[in-house]
Amino acid sequence: MEGETYSGLVACAECDAVYARRPLRSDEIARCVRCNALLGRGHRLGTDGQLALAAAALIVFVIGNLSPLVTLDLRGRETVLTLPQAIAATWQTGEQVVALLALATAFVFPLAVIALRLWLLAPIAFGRRPPGLVFALHALTWVTRWSMAEVFLLGALIAIVRSAGLADVSLGYGLAAYGVLSVLLTAEQLTGVHGLWRRVAEAAA
Amino acid sequence: MPPEPSSARSRGLVRCTHCGLVSRIDGAPGCVRCRLPLHSRKPHSLQRTAAWLIVAAVLYIPANLLPVMGTESVLGAYEHTLLGGIVELWESGSWELSLIVFVASIAVPIVKIAALALLTATAAARSRWRQLERAKLYRLVETVGYWSMLDVFVVVLLVGMVSFGALASVSPEPGLLAFGAVVIATMLAASSFDARLIWPDAHG
Repeated sequence: MEGETYSGLVACAECDAVYARRPLRSDEIARCVRCNALLGRGHRLGTDGQLALAAAALIVFVIGNLSPLVTLDLRGRETVLTLPQAIAATWQTGEQVVALLALATAFVFPLAVIALRLWLLAPIAFGRRPPGLVFALHALTWVTRWSMAEVFLLGALIAIVRSAGLADVSLGYGLAAYGVLSVLLTAEQLTGVHGLWRRVAEAAA
Repeated sequence: MPPEPSSARSRGLVRCTHCGLVSRIDGAPGCVRCRLPLHSRKPHSLQRTAAWLIVAAVLYIPANLLPVMGTESVLGAYEHTLLGGIVELWESGSWELSLIVFVASIAVPIVKIAALALLTATAAARSRWRQLERAKLYRLVETVGYWSMLDVFVVVLLVGMVSFGALASVSPEPGLLAFGAVVIATMLAASSFDARLIWPDAHG
């Protein structure tokens, strides 16, 4: 039969070994016996839990970009810095490509990850098929790979240490928010994208 | 050791790279669930990986030789290379951070280029040498690769933070662009490589 599919089978993404699918308990992790790659993991979080995580991430993301990352004091002159301001300052120095690179990986892609997860999970939570489903899932896979909120966080800590000789630096809420965002995004990423494909297929059926 | 599992391809099956659904290899050309083309192995995987590796290796030279950052203060104007920034961190007493930056900016890109070159060469030779270790090496390269973007963020933030006009200012320099390009090229090289080529079957 043309187009026949086998939802009862799992193939390892990294070595192509085939296994029979079986449901995993919430504390189980399935690994390939040949190459040890992750095949799947049981989730403690259902759709509602994942949706809550994505909503929390959105709030933290907004706080992280509106509040100052740091406050600097140079002999009484104070400056406050948010992430969009740092990117704008880099743009103005003439290194536009670098500014765009930072904008994409620390701002646009993390935001896109959150927005796409909300877009997909909210309808599924109500038993509906998300509009633009196939496109949204492909886009999610792509932006997840290029989202670097946690790298940005470590970069901010190092920038603070390096500027300490030039000015008095104090940490702002924006930095704390990016810390929480890194944790939330990592938790979301652990739930994977392939699980979403299956969940959507089940919800649509 | 458990018996060697059979590969999807040798059973006439294909796993969709995008959504994971298993279909018949001689069925429809596209995945029924996500509609993208089905491939048992990524097309031209090794050629594309090798091409991105060459780009990364070439750009690694200006990334390390050119300054990535300039500072101007009442003490004078200076230009800083990647390695220079690491030395400054070390001398300021933050040896832990300087170690992190050294690993992320200098060690990871070069180790990543070398590791992917090794993986590409052994896969091209259809080698069965240390397959499990090679699979784990690829997974490591995939996981740690994007942390190299660290220095790009450090400079962008310093540019925004240290802007006190004539008193003190920081500017990005061309080496940073080359460095960002190295990181992107190595990430594209890693995602072009098809890890299934580490485990050749009867079909090659």
